[in-house]
Amino acid sequence: MRKIFTTIVAGLLFAVPFTAMAQVNILACEPEWAALAEEIGGPKISTFSATHARQDPHHIRARPSLIAKARRADLIICSGAGLEVGWLPILLQKSGPQVQPNALGHVTASHYVPLLDTGASVDRSMGDVHPEGNPHIHLNPHHILPIAAQITDRLAQLDSANADYYQNRYQDFAQRWQQALAQWEAKAAPLKGTQVVVHHKSFSYLIDWLQLRAIASLEPKPGIPPTSSHLESLLQQLKATPAKLILRTPYEPEAASLWLSSKTNIPALVLPYTIGGVAEAGDLFALYDATLALLLENANVE
Amino acid sequence: MLNIKTAASAALIAVLSASPTLAADDDLTALRTEVEKMRQAYEQRINQLEAKLNQLEGNQVQVGATANTPPATSRRRIADNRFNPSIGMILNGQFSQYSQGESEIAGFAVSHEGERGEEGFGIGHSEISLSANVDDKFFASSTVAIVEHEGTTETELEEAYIQTLPGAGLPIGMSVKAGRAFWTLGYLNEHHSHADDFADRPLPYRVFMNHAYNDDGLQVSYLLPTDIYAEIGGGVYRGDDFPYGGNNGSGTGAWSAYARIGGDIGDNQSWRAGAYVLSGEAETSRLSNEDSVGFTGDSDLQIIDLRYIWAPTGNARDREVIVQAEYFQREEDGVYTVFDELSGDVLVTSTVNGKSDDGWYLQSVYKFAPQWRVGARYSQLMSDATPAPLVGTGLDAQGHDPEVLSLMVDWTNSEFSRLRLQFNREDLSGGETDEQAVLQYVMSIGAHGAHKY
Repeated sequence: MRKIFTTIVAGLLFAVPFTAMAQVNILACEPEWAALAEEIGGPKISTFSATHARQDPHHIRARPSLIAKARRADLIICSGAGLEVGWLPILLQKSGPQVQPNALGHVTASHYVPLLDTGASVDRSMGDVHPEGNPHIHLNPHHILPIAAQITDRLAQLDSANADYYQNRYQDFAQRWQQALAQWEAKAAPLKGTQVVVHHKSFSYLIDWLQLRAIASLEPKPGIPPTSSHLESLLQQLKATPAKLILRTPYEPEAASLWLSSKTNIPALVLPYTIGGVAEAGDLFALYDATLALLLENANVE
Repeated sequence: MLNIKTAASAALIAVLSASPTLAADDDLTALRTEVEKMRQAYEQRINQLEAKLNQLEGNQVQVGATANTPPATSRRRIADNRFNPSIGMILNGQFSQYSQGESEIAGFAVSHEGERGEEGFGIGHSEISLSANVDDKFFASSTVAIVEHEGTTETELEEAYIQTLPGAGLPIGMSVKAGRAFWTLGYLNEHHSHADDFADRPLPYRVFMNHAYNDDGLQVSYLLPTDIYAEIGGGVYRGDDFPYGGNNGSGTGAWSAYARIGGDIGDNQSWRAGAYVLSGEAETSRLSNEDSVGFTGDSDLQIIDLRYIWAPTGNARDREVIVQAEYFQREEDGVYTVFDELSGDVLVTSTVNGKSDDGWYLQSVYKFAPQWRVGARYSQLMSDATPAPLVGTGLDAQGHDPEVLSLMVDWTNSEFSRLRLQFNREDLSGGETDEQAVLQYVMSIGAHGAHKY
């Protein structure tokens, strides 16, 4: 066994490759930030997303692969507001000083937008609440540009030779985004005031932007899975004040939504939530296109 | 505001009652009217001020809600207790029931923490931990455990270490930890037992490390700049904690080295494997088996571990399978002494040369619903042939390999609370098997660190 051990150690020591990386290495905590970085960096960056659309970003493991990615990253982009508190600190422990929070190579997206649900005082009996505010910020498209500007700024400093390139791509992206935004808002106008039931507070920013009304949540308390008694009381509540849709993300379990939907005949709808959440949501523009199309198609508003 | 009003009225009443009785009634009435006017005027002013204040407060909330890009410094962040250390406490209690009155692991020198826990109600292992960044270069953490042992409450300093931060100026990926800590050695050693998937540690940890190795020392780790996760490290220690003991204070009594690699398989599977060595000397005497067995000499431990995690639906919150295994090999050169438990007289001494004992466990835990997990674990020890002088003593394995099968089910209400029911079937000495049932709670209040892989 000692032999095996020595062989492994020796093997590792000699296997260290020092490949010169021409591209800026980006580790994004969530797919939406990887997609946003790609809009700005194009082929000059290489991105890796720590999570995918089927994973609950609150609950992922500090996997060895992520520790290795963080160590080699030039820029780390995360939502912040407590979303990654269960795993990001482990990744940062072994990574360089240039990607630590508040360093040039670390963008905490929630620092650059106004947050919802900033509770004055919280207690853990209230469930898994984030006292810093709701971290699911990317679902208000108005939040995308200030964060994009931050990423552009950081990229321009980290890779100054291509600063103009990043600036130009940002200008182009910002223009296209503003146009899309106007179109989305026009298209979504009929949705205003639509009453919805959500699984968790994952869609709070979308609801705020579209002025929907979240009248109930399948989780009795944030982070606590739906219970049958809570669902029963929701059923009674919905009989009195019906909602148009029951919304959930691709990573939230379907059972509670489907049960409530079958009892109330309110459609249970999976919104993409992030890049890759549905097949069509390949980039940020497509994410909003797909989300609005699904809402308009199913909400039955004219 | 109300207080001011009351105080003002009280003062006025006082003034009124103190008015000279000599004053004519007319004067008094005039005075009263005057004072009443004053009171009304003041109340009006106060009401106006109150209204203004309310309005200002309202405005402020609105400003906060409509500002588009407030500077980062205005954000409210309560991640930790800013400049105070993060304080956390783990409460761990259990109710255990065993079918056998005695429990001995045949053929092995077992120290106090490796023994079977106490029967009945017990608060097991409660911990208080404090941690914080010291400054830009150092992080410090300490954990004190409060344990019940034979009717007395004892406190143990489980961990008290400092560790370099990424800003300390070391090469990227390198970190130095010094003090007392659960050192990187195998899978479980660096974890606090409240994070374990079972209520007790598997056999190899009980006999080879007396639950965990947390000697005083220093360890360096280095994460290689490779695409695949690869980390190497090593340390030097005082040599006072089991499997060592009786360090006479000169030099270092033990050293360790390790290497780990790991990665992903597709989107939803990950793994990590490692090899570790811990080598040292028990200089004067390592006592075990209720102080009835002593060992002096070299003890070397080699460990390999593997952990594999699969999230079948992609979402680990929902469903998850964890498989974990470790293999231990220990080689000892030295002298075993068996004492009389009552008088302390030496009964037997035996020189061992290259005594080689092995142990391993394999466990799997399946999360089948967001709050529910079931798990099974098998652990086994294989002892070397008993040296002739030790035949008939507690260190005589009598050709038996101790084994334990454990089954558990646990319910995790939130990240901070867990209830667990576990059954063990222990066959440790070739006699009758010990059937055990353990009902356990593990709760955490205060700061709660991120979870290691």
